[in-house]
Amino acid sequence: MISMRNVSKTYVADKPALSDVNVEIGQGEFVFLVGHSGSGKSTFIKLLLREILPTTGQIIVAGQDLVRMKSWKVPYLRRNIGCVFQDFKLLPNKTAYENVAFALEVIGRSKHVIRTQVPEVLRLVGLEDKMHSYPDELSGGEQQRVSIARAFVNRPPLLLADEPTGNLDPATSLGIMSLLSRINKTGTTVLVATHDREMVDSLRRRVIALENGRIIRDQDRGVYGDGD
Amino acid sequence: MAINVGYFVKESLTSFRRNWVMSLGAVITIYLSLLLVGVSVGGSMIAGQIVKSVEQKVSIRIFLKDGAAPEDVSKLQADLQADPRVKTVKYTSKEEAFEEFKKSYSSSPEMVEQLSVNPFPASLDVETKKPQDVPALAESIKGNQTFLKVCDRPDDPARSIRYGKEWVNRLFSFTRILRLVGVLFIIMLAVISLIFINNTIRLAIYARRKEIGIMRLVGASNWFIRMPFLLEGLLQSLVGALLALASLATFQIVAMPRIQEAVPFLPLSLPSGASLQIALVLIIGGAIIGLTGSAFALRRYLKV
Repeated sequence: MISMRNVSKTYVADKPALSDVNVEIGQGEFVFLVGHSGSGKSTFIKLLLREILPTTGQIIVAGQDLVRMKSWKVPYLRRNIGCVFQDFKLLPNKTAYENVAFALEVIGRSKHVIRTQVPEVLRLVGLEDKMHSYPDELSGGEQQRVSIARAFVNRPPLLLADEPTGNLDPATSLGIMSLLSRINKTGTTVLVATHDREMVDSLRRRVIALENGRIIRDQDRGVYGDGD
Repeated sequence: MAINVGYFVKESLTSFRRNWVMSLGAVITIYLSLLLVGVSVGGSMIAGQIVKSVEQKVSIRIFLKDGAAPEDVSKLQADLQADPRVKTVKYTSKEEAFEEFKKSYSSSPEMVEQLSVNPFPASLDVETKKPQDVPALAESIKGNQTFLKVCDRPDDPARSIRYGKEWVNRLFSFTRILRLVGVLFIIMLAVISLIFINNTIRLAIYARRKEIGIMRLVGASNWFIRMPFLLEGLLQSLVGALLALASLATFQIVAMPRIQEAVPFLPLSLPSGASLQIALVLIIGGAIIGLTGSAFALRRYLKV
C-alpha cells in the first residue's frame, strides 16, 4: 500500500527533515509512527498526501508513483486516502451529518449515495443519535468520531491519522483507537502518527520509530520505545 | 454534472451574499473602471468623428495664372483626376473666386468697393480620398509639367500650391497622441480592476480557507474548488458592466442632445453601430477582467 525508497526531504540545507527513509507497508496493516515533535512524522504524512514532494527518493501509494504524478491527479489520489487530524478540521457551521456529506458532495457523489452512506458511516462510529448536532455541541471524542466518519465514508483503502488522540483524555483516546482498529479490520490500511505511549504499548501493533528524520526502529507488535 | 452546476451557482451566490461588502467594493470598482472605459471608447469614437470631419476639410488648392490656356488647365485637371489618391477636382474661375470673396465679406462692403480689379487667381481644389495623402500628393503635383505651365507664380511654383502643410501635420500628430493616450488610459483602468477583483477573491478565499482545506483533503478536484470563485468574479464584473452600460445609455439619451445643442458646429454623434460595439467591449472586457482577476488570485492563494 505504501512504499518509500531512499526518501529524503530537506527544507533547509544541512538539516534534513527526513533522510534516507525506506518503508514498506502492506495492505491491511495497522502501523504506528512514533517519535518526538520534530522527528519527521508530519513530513512523513505530508509526503504520503503529496502535499510536498521528496527531495530525493521514490514514494508509491496505492500503486501510484507520487513523484511522477501530475499535479491535477493529486485530488484523485486523496480520494483514496482518508485523513484524521488532531484538531478534527470540522466545519463549525455544518452539522455532523453535513460535515460528512460535504466530503462526498465535493467529489461529486450523487444525492442518493450521500443519503445512504452518511447515516451508515455515522452509525459505524456510534453517532447515529447526534447526526444533527453541530461540532460545538459535541465532545472532543465525538468530534473526532465525526472526522473519522468523514475520512472513512468514501471507503478509502488507506487511512492516515496524525495525532488523532492528541487533544483527548485517555479513556476517550481508547475509544478512538478501538474505532480505528475496527476500521482496520474491514481491510483498510491504517497509519497512526502519535506520541501517545500508553496507546502504542497497549495495542501491540507494528511500530515505526523516527528520530531526527531517520527510522531508528521498525518492529512488529512493538512498543513505544525504551529511551524516554 | 447536473448537481455540480447547481452547487456552483449556489456557492457563488452564497459567497456574494456573505461577503457582500467586499463584493460591492469589487462591483463598484469594475463599474467605475468600465464606465471610464466606456466613456473613453465613446469619447474617442466621437473625437474620431470630429477629427475625420476636420480631416475631410484638408484639401489642396492650386492657384492658376491669369490667362492660362484652358486646354492646359483641363489637362492638369485630367492628370489629377487620373491619380488614384484623388477624390474630386473642382475648378474655380477668377470670377467665382471674386464672388466668393464678396460673399464672405458682405458685412463690410467698403472693403469690396476698394478693389477696382479682380485680384483673385482662378484655382483648382483637389480633395483626396485619404487626408493623409495630402502632403505627398502636393509634392508630386509640384513636379507636374502642366502645373508648371499654368501655375500662378512660375518663378516660384511651390507658392502656387497651398494645403496648410504645418497645420495638417500637427493635426495628424495630435490625433495620434489622442488615440495613444486613450489606449493607455484603458489599459491602466483594466489593470486597476484586475487588482481589485484579485483582492476581493483573495478575501473570499481567506474567509473560506478552512472549507477549502477540507475540500483539498478529501480530494475535491482543482476545478471544483476554483469554479465558485471564478463564477463569483465573473458575476461581479458582469454586474459592474451592466451598471456601466446603463449609466452610459442614460448619459447618451439624456445629456448628449443638450451638449450637442451647446456646440452645434461639432458633429457629436457616435458612428453607426458604435453603441453595440461599446456594449460588447464592456461586457466581454468585464468578463475577461473578472475571470483573469479571479484566476490570478486563485493561482497565488489556492496553490491547488
